[in-house]
Amino acid sequence: MIENRKQEARFADEALGLLPSVAVPSALEARILADFDRIAARHAPGRLRRLFLRWRDDLWPGAPLWKPASVLALSLAIGVMAGVLMPMSDLAASTSSEQQYAAGDAPPVVNMAGDL
Amino acid sequence: MKFDPDTELVARVGKGDRVAAQALMARHLPGMLRLARRMLASQAEAEDCVQDAFLKVWTHARRWKPGQAKFETWLYRVTLNQCYDRLRKKPALGLEAAAEVADLAPAADVVLEKVGLAEEVQNALGTLPERQRAAILLCHYQEHGNIEAAEILGVSVEALESLLARARRTLRMKLSHLRSR
Repeated sequence: MIENRKQEARFADEALGLLPSVAVPSALEARILADFDRIAARHAPGRLRRLFLRWRDDLWPGAPLWKPASVLALSLAIGVMAGVLMPMSDLAASTSSEQQYAAGDAPPVVNMAGDL
Repeated sequence: MKFDPDTELVARVGKGDRVAAQALMARHLPGMLRLARRMLASQAEAEDCVQDAFLKVWTHARRWKPGQAKFETWLYRVTLNQCYDRLRKKPALGLEAAAEVADLAPAADVVLEKVGLAEEVQNALGTLPERQRAAILLCHYQEHGNIEAAEILGVSVEALESLLARARRTLRMKLSHLRSR
């Protein structure tokens, strides 16, 4: 039984060995690569994404995109929250103190003739 | 986890790397075309089938997760499924186109005899049920081991061995007259 199976396997090998080889036509390769180009172009990043990717590479080379994106989002959120929650009185106070600083920063008026 | 030599190439293909796509194609296209050609016995159908399989690769490469399955196993399974689809759509095609034989160069009488024999083998192969044909081609032609061939076919190794045994027996019966030549 085992011998019979071995003979059948050997016969199948020999028979299949009679089939001619199959060459890959260059036109087929070209067609397949054209498919690749079409799909790659569809998935290529847009202008905004390309800019973002360049910024990411400058700032944080090799990091996954979500890391700089989350840092950017977090800082944006902190900025917006600070802007919204800051009391108006503080703004007013800062304005008056700025005026004082501005007055203090003015050059002193020196009467050259009187001093001499 | 098994080492998969294609993992890096597939990742690069997913990022749109054309050189990686060419390398992946050079590695697998000949084997895939040979399998499809023997399954379908029509060059044009086999080429379409392989092109569709690669289209799936290009589309899915971005989402490919290494470690789930060996890429080559998945690729051959996709190719076989494409072949099955075509065989079901045009069941007679396998035998009709069996006469298509690739280019041969030597002396005319030798060529004719070879072509005749090849045609007979291809015809006998065409009469095998799809799964038996796939099993024998994967093991004899593609030089896949039994475990890998079973994975591609989605069957157990025992089931594959049974498919192989039946396929070889049928081939031997159909081609028994060749043994006297």
